[in-house]
Amino acid sequence: MLNVKDIKKTFRSGELTVSAVNGVSLKVDTGQFVSVIGRSGSGKSTLLSLLGALDKPTSGVIEVDGQDIAKMPDKALINYRCQTIGFVFQNYNLVPNLSAIENVMLPMEFAKVSKTERRNRAASLLDEVGLIKDKQLRRPNRLSGGEQQRVAIARALANKPKLILADEPTGNLDSQTGTMIFDLLHNLAKSQNTTIIVVTHDEVIAGKTDKTFKLADGKLVK
Amino acid sequence: MNPVSRGIRNAFRNLTRTFSLIIILGLSIGLSLTMLVAHQAVTAKISQVKSSIGNTVSITPAGFSGFSSVNNALTTQQLEPVAKLANVTSVVESFTARLSNKNSLSTPGSKGLTNLVSPTTLNLNSRRAHFFFAGGGLSQIPTNFSLPITLLATTNPSAYNTTNLSLVSGRLINGNLDNNQAMVSQAMASKNNLKVGSTFSAYSSTLTVAGIFSGSTRAADDAVVVSLPTGQAISGQANEVTAATVYVNSLDNLSSVTSAIKSKLGSSADVVSATEQANNTVAPLNSVKSVSAYSLIGATFAGAVIILLTMVMIVRERTKEIGVIKAIGASNAKISLQFMSEAITLTILGAIVGMVLTVVAASPITHTLVSSTSGGGPNAARPNGGFVRNFAGGTSHLAFGGRGAGSFLRNNFTNIHAVVGWSTLGYGLLAAIVIALIGSAGVSFFIAKIRPAEVMRTE
Repeated sequence: MLNVKDIKKTFRSGELTVSAVNGVSLKVDTGQFVSVIGRSGSGKSTLLSLLGALDKPTSGVIEVDGQDIAKMPDKALINYRCQTIGFVFQNYNLVPNLSAIENVMLPMEFAKVSKTERRNRAASLLDEVGLIKDKQLRRPNRLSGGEQQRVAIARALANKPKLILADEPTGNLDSQTGTMIFDLLHNLAKSQNTTIIVVTHDEVIAGKTDKTFKLADGKLVK
Repeated sequence: MNPVSRGIRNAFRNLTRTFSLIIILGLSIGLSLTMLVAHQAVTAKISQVKSSIGNTVSITPAGFSGFSSVNNALTTQQLEPVAKLANVTSVVESFTARLSNKNSLSTPGSKGLTNLVSPTTLNLNSRRAHFFFAGGGLSQIPTNFSLPITLLATTNPSAYNTTNLSLVSGRLINGNLDNNQAMVSQAMASKNNLKVGSTFSAYSSTLTVAGIFSGSTRAADDAVVVSLPTGQAISGQANEVTAATVYVNSLDNLSSVTSAIKSKLGSSADVVSATEQANNTVAPLNSVKSVSAYSLIGATFAGAVIILLTMVMIVRERTKEIGVIKAIGASNAKISLQFMSEAITLTILGAIVGMVLTVVAASPITHTLVSSTSGGGPNAARPNGGFVRNFAGGTSHLAFGGRGAGSFLRNNFTNIHAVVGWSTLGYGLLAAIVIALIGSAGVSFFIAKIRPAEVMRTE
């Protein structure tokens, strides 16, 4: 499903050139639940940005179902992000003045799904992640951290993506809620045959995934 | 929900800021529209004044102002060559003097006595009120004070029918015959129990009322109209002329005839064409027009800057949100559309406030601009026409506030109609949308070009 070949990403920082990702190659099969671990500054989030087409690599190949996204034009990348990728962020990153259900409907609007269908699917997804009806109409500031992350997961699933990229999804949650969110992602990966790549600090969580990649100084060490 | 409805909703995300912004934009757009209305009204008035220019040239003795001095008056002989100039159809000559009665004060230029009493009464609050003259003289006002009466001698009394006078009884006098006949106003006749055939005295002569006219102004009410020869004879100022109006056969020849008259009369006369008079008249309006045009541009520019800076601020605040929306599949166009609709919502609300302000304030502000710019006093531009002009020139020296030329202009100019029409409101709405698009398009487009990963890195 995902085939990464020797990708590099360098940044200019003053007169210095920093290699955030330095020759990473990896393979992930469809439906696998994969974790990427490493210390802060090891290049985990940069790698996730490249896989999610939020940024382009300096060199290398990122093939998703045989298509090199590193060479895609910007317009195609927008479509790729919309149809193929689902993001879950550490800080949830819900749009603050939209309700929970409107946040979940948002990616479907960009995918040109009809209004009725997106409302029905959003409600169904929120039910699936365990957010009760009453809370589906609340804005994010009236939901707990765990509830917001459930909404973020439902939003990531909205367009039935092939790949979900989660950047420290339990990082801002207590351990009990974090475990619940992790289990939710795990179950979704199995039930919907969705490939999930999770960036985490937590080696316990990483130990529960199908495959774990360890990054250090922009390189894979495991 | 779509980008437009999200933009509209985002406009009310921070109610305090939204309210403040709408008020500021409303003031800016209101000022723009008010200046547009003022500009339109003044432009229309200037066109009206210029379109009403007659093909006439006014001649007065050099430096002559009303009744102030007649020592340098022109003579009938001096004006004879003017009547013979090419393209001149006729010349109307007039002589103006001021008559006093036993209850009048000895006013400047007043050389003749009459038994008539002015129909104009003064409401003085104190018997100790004083009368000030431009030259610095001061007299105590008697309780039965009568205003001076204007003696207007002219070769063509009918010319005044078109502007100020309308006969109600009797007949029009012949302006070229010395027959001691006169026309008086209805008010004058009523005050002095005069009817057609009655007599009254002026200087040491007896004049017979041949006609009674309806005076349209206080100045006309206070006037006695006689033929030029009669006026010259009874005043003992034979051949003297204090004003002449030259009629030219075409507006196209006005300039050449004016030059020819100036050449004939030299420095002994002030020669002003109707075009020059019109230009003098509208000079204050041109100032208002310029002020309103600059203010219109300034206020519109200020509105654009306000919305631009506001949108920059909003976009900077929502950098993270833009990145998230892009990460979940929004296109640059949709993000731009969302910010534009937010800016348009804010600006349209500001425009509505501005329109309300315009409807309320456009007329008073226009009148304030016009009256403060047109001013008054002896140097103010004077209207066309001999009668009003002469009277205005004379009374402009009275410090107690006679209706002089400045007053005439203020009344004329404050009659400007500042109308807020649908087209004005349409322009306002259009300007608001243009302001919003200019203010938001660049900013949102710039932000839309930012890669989502760069936005995420700033977290």
